[in-house]
Amino acid sequence: MADLTAEGADHIAAKPTRHAGQSGFAALLPLAALLAFGLILLVFALSSAQFLRPGNLFQVIAQSSILAVLALGLTVVVIGGGENTLSGGIDLSLAANLGMGAAIYAVLAQAGQPDLLAIPAAILAGLALGAFNAFAIVVLGMLPLLATLGSMTLAVGIEQVVSRNTTILVATPLRRFLGGHDPLFGLPILAWALLLTSLIFALIVHYSRFGLNLQAVGGNPAAARAAGLNTRAWTAGSYLVSGFCGGLGALFSVGFLGASSTGSAEYLLPVIAATFLGTVFSRRLSPTIGGTLLAALFLGVLANGFQLLNISSYWVAGIQGVLMLAVVATTSLRRPL
Amino acid sequence: MDRRTFFRSSLLAGAGLGLAAPAVLPGLARAQGAADAEAAAEAARAGLSLAGKTIAISAVGTEHFFDIKAYQAQIDEVERLGGTAIGLDAQRNDQKLVSQLQTLVGQKPDAVIQTLGALPIVDPGLKALREADIPVFTVDVVSENAINNSTSDNFSLGAQLALQLVSDLGGKGNIALFTAIEGVVPCEIRLEQLRAVLKYYPEINIIQPDLREIIPNTIQDSFQKVTALLSQYPEGKLDAIWASWDIPVLGATQALLAAGRKDVLTYGVDGTPEYVALVADPNAPAGAVAVQQPDLIGRTAVRNLARYFAGETLPSTSFVPAILANRQNATEVQKQVGQI
Repeated sequence: MADLTAEGADHIAAKPTRHAGQSGFAALLPLAALLAFGLILLVFALSSAQFLRPGNLFQVIAQSSILAVLALGLTVVVIGGGENTLSGGIDLSLAANLGMGAAIYAVLAQAGQPDLLAIPAAILAGLALGAFNAFAIVVLGMLPLLATLGSMTLAVGIEQVVSRNTTILVATPLRRFLGGHDPLFGLPILAWALLLTSLIFALIVHYSRFGLNLQAVGGNPAAARAAGLNTRAWTAGSYLVSGFCGGLGALFSVGFLGASSTGSAEYLLPVIAATFLGTVFSRRLSPTIGGTLLAALFLGVLANGFQLLNISSYWVAGIQGVLMLAVVATTSLRRPL
Repeated sequence: MDRRTFFRSSLLAGAGLGLAAPAVLPGLARAQGAADAEAAAEAARAGLSLAGKTIAISAVGTEHFFDIKAYQAQIDEVERLGGTAIGLDAQRNDQKLVSQLQTLVGQKPDAVIQTLGALPIVDPGLKALREADIPVFTVDVVSENAINNSTSDNFSLGAQLALQLVSDLGGKGNIALFTAIEGVVPCEIRLEQLRAVLKYYPEINIIQPDLREIIPNTIQDSFQKVTALLSQYPEGKLDAIWASWDIPVLGATQALLAAGRKDVLTYGVDGTPEYVALVADPNAPAGAVAVQQPDLIGRTAVRNLARYFAGETLPSTSFVPAILANRQNATEVQKQVGQI
């Protein structure tokens, strides 16, 4: 398999987004989105003295960490599979993958198995589901939307069998570590874990040959193939990364909750929302690691700020919906008629 | 414990209700509205007030009858006593529930009332609140981090429901249980009480494996599970289906109706109006339901909080009476609790 040079990949990746320049509004969108985010932060800060305290802000990052790490996985899939809603890259099994991994981890921990075994088991379960998705999509040629819908059901079934659909208490060294605070600043470890994970993902996806090739495959598969890339392998790889994120999310989740939870399906829509909302933070209105992270944090900030201002949390869901519609509407501006 | 001792202890537990819950009326036979108005008047006489206080009302969810009634009653009662309520509905999302409790630690309300939630999920949050010197009260959560828990007397109602089941079955038969309730203490108590009663009725057999309810989509899921169970246990092979709350048996009863099976009766707890109506319907195979008073439970929690601020010493648990509605008295109970 030949690798592209950075320049070549950039050229190919840029190709499908050539229309971005056609609309001045679309070009201004990332700036507007950042300004809007900043404005909301400002309103919260002016309304609640509590909001801007580092302890609170880092707590929001920790609270967003599970959603964000899943959304990072979905971002990689969407970058590698293209953004077409029906035929492009999508992984609907991510949330269920988390539930499955958390159940496996919790059951092993409950049975007295050490973290040394339980942690790899959760990650391997995630990778296995990713491999299943990759096989169904790349080898069997199934639509990602349908293939991952199937694997989602599979993962939910495994979770229910393994955990007997109960909340299992987890009191392991991993829980104490991830659920704890760093000794230096007293900030949540999960917040640091998310920032570190995002940094690694950003470096790989946006600044490495791997990432550039992935963008090429998702952006224009025909051109990527012509340039000698094995597009099927890259697509399969993106689902493995996503599966890994499901496993990592499972560990974050037991670290955060101190238990396995039966409600992981709740993450599905917010994960999709964060990934697609994140596109407004990028210059080309494409999914990016940084954009996804900002969007996940934005959703966390809304929930936190609304609670501090004593505004009903029901508004968060409503606003999330309005934003999604706005993003879909504006990003469609860049597509040719 | 023999049966006589068991009944005696049940009676003692029942007698303890009045002592444990000064806010609660001996209102078993009263309309909930009337009982409530009287309790409100009593609260006013006692000079209870939450003026100037901000109280966080944190609930695991509000989609079930019990949840929404208890949640709304707490918010109403806080406002009626002059306080400000922060309403937090986690919508049965554990991450949201833990997050909202974490945020409360920094937000520093004057007190927090937590309604329901699996103990492993909520308890670390309640502990953090207690360590931050924020008083914690609960509804249906048994935690050492709470000053007071307002709840039905689940020991008594669990035993009453079990005895009704045993009586309807004539002391023998096959029953199926929904038991996915680990960590939810009130439900665990009801199951333990059922087992305690069944111990003395060896001819009642619990079929294995247990049914496992799920949340959300409980009704749809229990409908499917019971439909499958019915094909496995044809007429005469199954006599009753029991759940520690009534949403799973609401689905179970609908499955029985759809299958045209009248040989199986269902039993549950809470008093969701749709299920009480099924118990009242002579053509529906619903045996009995322990009807809780979630509105009064919620108000009791808030009044206890006001008492705490007024310097009173509180019992660790306030029991609110529940009423057993069976096929004979369900219509009457519906009237008493204001459902018809």
